Order: sequence, then structure tokens, then C-alpha cells
Amino acid sequence: MIKITNLEKFYRTEEVETIALNKLSMHVDTGEFVAIMGPSGCGKSTLLNILGMLDDPDEGSYVFNSIEVAHFNERKRADLRKHNIGFVFQSFNLIDELTVFENVELPLIYTGVTTAERVKRVEEVLDKMQIMHRRNHYPQQLSGGQQQRVAIARAVVNKPKLILADEPTGNLDSSNGNDVMELLTDLNEQGTTIIMVTHSEHDARYSHRIIRLLDGQTVMENIMV
Amino acid sequence: MFKNFLKVMFRSLTKNKAYSFLNIFGLAIGITCAALIFLWVENEVNYDAVHVKKDRLYIARENQKYDTYVFTHQSTPGMMGPAIKAEIPGVANVCRTSESTNSLLYSYNNKPLFAGTLYAEPSLFSMFTLPFIAGNAASAFTQLHSVVITQKTAVKFFGTDKNVLGKSIRVDNKQDYTVTGVLKDMPANSSVQFECVMPFQIYWDNSPWLKSWGNNSLTTYIELKPGVDPKSIDKQLYGFIQKREPKNLGRVFLFGMTDWHLYNDFKEGVKTGGGQIEYVHLFSIIAWIIIFIACINFMNLATARSEKRAREVGVRKVLGAGKKSLALQFIGEALFMSFIAAVLAVILMALVLPAFNMLVQKQLTIGFGNVYHILALLGLTVACGLIAGSYPSLYLSSFNPVAVLKGLKLKDSSAAYIRKGLVVMQFSVSVVLIISTVIVYQQIQHIKSRNLGFDKDRLLEIGLQGDMAKNYAPIKQDLLNSGFVQNVALSDHSTIYGGNNTSGMTWDGKAPGSEILISQRYVTPGFFETSGLKILEGRNIEEIDTASKPIAMVVTQSLAKLMGGKGSALGKRIHYEGDTTAAVVVGVVNDYVYGNMYGKPDPVMFFSSSPEHTDRMYVKIKAQQPVEASIAAIQNVFKKDNPAYPFEYRFVDDQFNQMFLSEMLVSKLSRVFAALAIIISCLGLFGLAAYTAERRIKEIGIRKVLGASVSGIASLLSKDFLQLVIISCVIAFPIAYWAMHTWLKTYQYHIDMQWWVFATAAVSAMVIAVVTISFQSIKAALANPVKSLRSE
Repeated sequence: MIKITNLEKFYRTEEVETIALNKLSMHVDTGEFVAIMGPSGCGKSTLLNILGMLDDPDEGSYVFNSIEVAHFNERKRADLRKHNIGFVFQSFNLIDELTVFENVELPLIYTGVTTAERVKRVEEVLDKMQIMHRRNHYPQQLSGGQQQRVAIARAVVNKPKLILADEPTGNLDSSNGNDVMELLTDLNEQGTTIIMVTHSEHDARYSHRIIRLLDGQTVMENIMV
Repeated sequence: MFKNFLKVMFRSLTKNKAYSFLNIFGLAIGITCAALIFLWVENEVNYDAVHVKKDRLYIARENQKYDTYVFTHQSTPGMMGPAIKAEIPGVANVCRTSESTNSLLYSYNNKPLFAGTLYAEPSLFSMFTLPFIAGNAASAFTQLHSVVITQKTAVKFFGTDKNVLGKSIRVDNKQDYTVTGVLKDMPANSSVQFECVMPFQIYWDNSPWLKSWGNNSLTTYIELKPGVDPKSIDKQLYGFIQKREPKNLGRVFLFGMTDWHLYNDFKEGVKTGGGQIEYVHLFSIIAWIIIFIACINFMNLATARSEKRAREVGVRKVLGAGKKSLALQFIGEALFMSFIAAVLAVILMALVLPAFNMLVQKQLTIGFGNVYHILALLGLTVACGLIAGSYPSLYLSSFNPVAVLKGLKLKDSSAAYIRKGLVVMQFSVSVVLIISTVIVYQQIQHIKSRNLGFDKDRLLEIGLQGDMAKNYAPIKQDLLNSGFVQNVALSDHSTIYGGNNTSGMTWDGKAPGSEILISQRYVTPGFFETSGLKILEGRNIEEIDTASKPIAMVVTQSLAKLMGGKGSALGKRIHYEGDTTAAVVVGVVNDYVYGNMYGKPDPVMFFSSSPEHTDRMYVKIKAQQPVEASIAAIQNVFKKDNPAYPFEYRFVDDQFNQMFLSEMLVSKLSRVFAALAIIISCLGLFGLAAYTAERRIKEIGIRKVLGASVSGIASLLSKDFLQLVIISCVIAFPIAYWAMHTWLKTYQYHIDMQWWVFATAAVSAMVIAVVTISFQSIKAALANPVKSLRSE
């Protein structure tokens, strides 16, 4: 599903040039659950942003579903992204002014799904995430665990092929964290490819494969059994 | 998707009430201001629009060339109108009228009332659009003693405008007139105004001087046939009077109705293109400036608050929103807020319109029945929304989702400069307005305190009515006996206004070919004492002078200088060219200002007059007497000595103030606009200060932990804003200087600008800014640092 080759990304300030990704190559197959680990500043988040087409690489190739996307413009990337990729963030990133239902509905609006179909699909996914009873609440009225469920619901409502999760349990206690990891595992078992950035060895154990990064390069891959 | 935008917008508006209020209220003030100004502009621009033939109607004006200037006026010889109609083929019609309305006494059922009456030829009704609601144009003036009145006058006379046709009303206690027509009330923005109109023939029969080609003393309106070029008529009019009377200096030309109100300014006999139109332009510009300031506010607040919206932008982008859809969303929000502001503005307008009408001396209405008003308001609203939303939408929609979702602080570079630039712009405008307001005020005070050469205080002007001239001696005696009155005299002209003048005088030693315009006034003895003119040389005018040969006269100092050269003018003689009747100078009084309060007055000759040849009385109230009791005492005298007429008077002081109406209007409006510009700017500054405090909350926390004091932090936050205000002053000073310099130059008699006005404006702008910011700065400085640091 994903194949990146010699990916490079630099960050420049006036005086310093930082290499975030240094000729990084990797691939992820359809249906895999991959964890990316490494110390702060190793390039995990940069990698995830590029994989999610939120950012573009400076050098190298990124093939997504057999399409070279490294040099797509913003509009094309947005188009590909909204149909194929769901995001889960550490800080949930729900819109405060929208209710649970409306937050989850948002991706469907951007992909042009009809109103009736939207209601059906949002209710379906809220049900699955066991958050239906909170559908008319605002994010501030929910606990962290509930907020992350809503965020996951939003990530999957469009039935994306790939979910990118950036430290999805980082802001949660261990019990809520485990619930979230179970949810992701379920989704993966139903066929969704998942790539997750994490600091937690515990969370990483839910994955099939751990890619460890250091200074923008792959230093080790562990296959989980 | 649209529904989703609406939801987010509505919830974000209600959630951030203070922000929404600042934004919407600022815009609403802007729209209210602009809409009021545009109502005024509409009224001005549509002056005389009611007259269907306005494009073919002209007033005959005359240029008279003198030694030092060309005098453009609108008095014409009485014989001219019919001659023009008979001889010039392009002329469709001509109407002669008296030069102004005369206040005549009407009495119906013994109820005496004054009404402004015009004498006009019947063509008035066909040339101007004056619809009859009773009677008709054809039969209105078939009888000599007929009068046509307006609806309002009908109500004033008879209590109703129904069934008044044919009613008889007594005029001046002498003659009965029949009401032969009732006209629909004319709009206030029509140049033709009167309460009653009577046949011109009456005026003609009573005014023998009208029959001379050498005398300019009535108004001539001319209607051209369709398609006739007024320039071709002007060529024929240029020597029209001189063919009959070579000595008349007047060169006649046509002045089109569409220019009467807005472009009535002549210099050296040529239309300058200026006049009331300058105020129309000035206020239109001010309206747009205020709108712009309000929009700047909106931009500032919207971009300053953008960090709060950043996450929404990020999430929407991640979920697939394009830049365009986000930009549209934010433009949409601005438009929506602009519409709320417009609704609020309509309410504000309804509230302040009466006050505004009082300010501009008009009866403006919002006029929702008028499609153009609705369209204009819509246009204004959309313009506001688009201007206000343009920059924020570009700014917000270009956020990088990766950065904002990571919670990184936005780079504070270009946007910050733009925000600061906007604040500088607002404050520059405010400072210019403050300076202009002060200088306009100073100039008006300067003119009002000008030494006029006569004493206008406690001086009453009373129009002569009925038997007042005949009974002048007993009236004067009774007034003086009342103990309230210091002096009484009669005159044939208002002291303060212009009046009869002539250039036909000559004297020994006058430079050959020189044309000097001299005013002539007929007064009774005691006039100089009453009006406070000082006799510098020679003697006062006496009663006996009415019959003296040669005629005795008193002249003003400037004429004395012209006649006497280095020596005295006493005993020098003056006479009309080609006439042997001479007048001799017996006294000299000081020059005094009349007519144009900003200019240098022409010389004046005073002649002694018997009471019958005057038409107004001046009464000087004693300095120590209370004014109200004095008026009451004077009224009692008139009740006794002239019982048939109601007592009406005017203070010369008030007449004087009346001469500054447009300057006063500019002064008042500039004060209002300056205040509003400052209020709107402060709303913006307040929002920006809040934003800065919020942005620097971590810095403030750390500084406090490290030991910074509250005052230290408050001044840290205020310093940046003060810099902006100082930059604003640097920009505003030259602009204000240039604008005011240009304005003052239009007055001969004007102040010099003083540096302290600029300094005061700068200091007040800074004080206002500091007060506005300090609330936010102190709040931020007092906040608990633990909270702000934990939130990071």
C-alpha cells in the first residue's frame, strides 16, 4: 500500500538546517498494523505527516496505492487524503463548536455524502464506538477517553483504507488507553491498515511490526509474533 | 456544508460574546455613520430634482467688473425678461419674480399671521414643477388680487387645506385677496421656496425703479427650448443690457438649475466648480474612511483571534477541506456579521436620525419604501463584509495544518506587521480628525470674535410694519422712556448683510476708468450710536440732512481715504457720473464688516433718511438690563403704538451666527466623526491588546516567576502600542497640516496653525490608547503565573 524510497525532509531556520528525515525508505502492506517508535526529534511525526499527505517531502519518492504522490499539489493531496486516510491525534483535535455527531459527520460532508447517508453512517459508527448516548454533547463535556473515541469515530466514518494515529493514547490514562488500542486492533482486524506513532512499548505491542527511527533513519525493525 | 459553516459560525459567535460584540458593534457604528452621511449626500445631490424641466431651467446671472474683482450676482433689470423672450429664439419661457420672499401680514378672522410671499409671473407654475391640489395654473392669476398658497400655509391660515379655494384674506390690513390655488408642499431640497405667491403685476406697479434698464433688482428665470445650447444664448445675452443702457456693468449669463445648489461658487465671474459640492465630496470621503476604519477593526480582531480558530482550520484541512472552501467560509462569516451589523445599524440610525437631522438642519428619513435605499444599504453591507473578510479569510485559510495541530505557536511575522499597520492607519486617521476638529473650531471662533466694527450684542432688529414708520417719533420716545432701551434708529438695510451698492460714483481725484463698488445706506440720526459705529472725524447725520443741498453724507474710513488721499475727506464732493447732484462728506465713521464675514468689506456711504424710506428698526438694549424683561417692555410699546401687527424681532447676534451655518455644520460633524473614529479605533485596540496579552501569557508567567512587578509587566505590554501611536502621529501630522492649510487658505481672514494643537492631538491619542490598553495589560499582569505555565 505504501512504499517510500530515500525520503528526505529538512527544516530550515535562519541559522540552522535540521534534517528530519534522512534518506528514509520503508513499505507498509495493506492490512498491516505498524508502530513507529523513537526518541523525541527522531522524525516520527514528520514521517507521519508526509504519509498523511499533510506535508510534502523535499526529496525521494512516496508511492501510495501505486500512485506517486511526492510532488502532488495541495489540492490533489487533499483529494486523495479525504477519501483514503483517517487521522487520530494525541490531543484529539475535535472542533469545540460542533457536537459529537457533527464532528464525526464532518469528513462525510467534505467527501460529498448525502444527508440521509451521513446520518446512517455516523449513527452506525457512534454505535460501534459505544458513544451514541453522547451524540449531542460538545467535546468539552466529555472525558478524554470519550473524546478519543469520537476522534476515532471521525477517523473511520469515511471507511478509509489507512488510519494514521499520532500517539493516540498520549493524553489518556492506562484504562482508557487500552480501550483505544483495542478499538484500533478491531479496526485492523476488519481490514484497515494502521500506522501509529507511539512512545509506549505497551501500545506498540498491539502492532504487527515496530519501526524504530533515530535521526531520521530506520535503525531497527521488530516483527511481532 | 453551508449548514455546517453556519452552525460553527453561530456557535463561535455566541461563545465569544465579547469578541462578537466588538466586531459587530464596530461595523454597525461604521455602517450607521456612512448610511447617515449618504442620506445627507442623497438629499444634497437631488436638490431641485423635483423640477421636471430642471435641465432646461436657468437663472439669469450678472457679472459686474470692478477695479479689484468681478462681482457675480443674480439681480437683473425689470425690463429684461420680456425682451429676452421676444428677441432670443431659443428661449421657451421667462419668469420674473421678486428677489426674495417678503414677510407680509395676512389676517383671517382677525387672526394676524406673517407669511413669506413671492411675487411671480404666472409662467412660474409651468416652468417649475408646482402641482396644484386645488385650483389650476391657468386661472390662478387672472385677477390682480389673488394669492396662491401651499398646503402648509393653508393649514396655517385656515386650519385645513380642504375647501379653501375662493376664501378671502386681508393683506397688510389694507386689501382683500382671494385664494385662487393651493399648491402641494414643495420638498425642502427645492430652490424655489415660498409660503404664498402673488401676481408679479402687483410688485411691478409698486416699484417704479423696475422700469429702468440701469437698475438690477429682480430675479429672472429662463426656460430654454429642448436641445438649445445655453452657450449660444450666453453669447446673445453678453451685451443684452448694454444695448439699452451702456452704463450698466452687468454682463448676463445663464446658470443652470442643476448647478444652483451644488456649484454656486464664482470667482472672477467664472464658475469655480466648487460650492456645496465640496462638502458633499468631503463627507462622502469621510463616510468611506469610517467604513474603512470599522473594517480594519474587524480584520484586526479576526486575525488576532485566529489562534483560537487555528485548530478548526487544521482539522478541516486534514479532513479534506481546500483553501478555497475555507476562504469562502471565513468571507461568509464576515458577510454574515456584516448583515447583523447592518440590522443593528438600522436600529441605531432610527435612534440617532432625529439628532442627526437637527445637526444638519434637514428632515431626512430612512425611507425603506425606497428601493434605492434598500439596495444602497445592501451594497454597503456587502462591501463591508467583503473588505472586512478579505484579509482574515486569506490569512486563516493559509494556515499549515501540521503546525496548528501540533499546537505550535503561529509565526508572528507578516500578519503581525499587517495588524500593526492597520492600527497605525486607524490612529493616523483619528489624529488627523482630532487636529482638524480643533483647527476648524479655532477658525470659527476666530471669525466669530472678529472685531466687526459695530456692536452686535443686545441689538434688536425689527421689521417695519403698518404704521411704525409714521409713528416712529412716539415709538422711539416710548422705547427710550421704558428705561430698558439705550438707543433707537431706522435703516433701509440690515446692518450685517450686504445691500444696495453702486459703482457709478465719481469724485475729484478719482483714478480715471477705475470702478469702485460702494454700498449706500439710508439711516435716521442715531444709527451710529445704536449700532456702535464710531465717528472718527466731522459730525453725525442729522434730520435736517434729508433736505440739505448738497446732500450731506457720512462715509466709512476706507472711502474717506480714497477720496481724501493723504488729507481729510471732509468737505469733498461725490456725484453719479453724468449727474450734477452732489453729496458732500460731513463725517467719517470706522469701517465695519458686512456681507461676507471672512472678507474685506466695501466702503459705505450713509445718507440721512426720513422714516418712510426705511424698512427696519434697530433697538439697543441697555447693558445692565435683563434681556427678557427688556423684550417684554419693547413688546408693550409696540402693542400700544402698532396694535394691528404681531411683534416680531431678531437679534443681530443670531443673524450673525446664521452666517456660519455651513462652517458650524463642518465643525459639528467633524467633532462627531472624530469621536466615532476614535471609538471604533479603540474597540480594535482593545481587542488587539487582549490578543497580545493572551499570546504572551507564558512570557508574562515566566517573568513573574522570575520576579517582575505588575507595573513592570503592564508597561512592557503597553510600550509596543505606544510606539504605534507615535508612528501614527508622524504620519498624521503632515497630512493634517496640508489639509488644514488648504482649508484655511479659502478664508481671507483666518488663523495661523499652532504647534500645540498637534502636540495636544498626539498626547490625547496616546492617553486614549493607554487607557484602552491598560485594562488588558493590568489584567494580564495580575494573572496567576502558575495557571498560565501549567496550561502550556
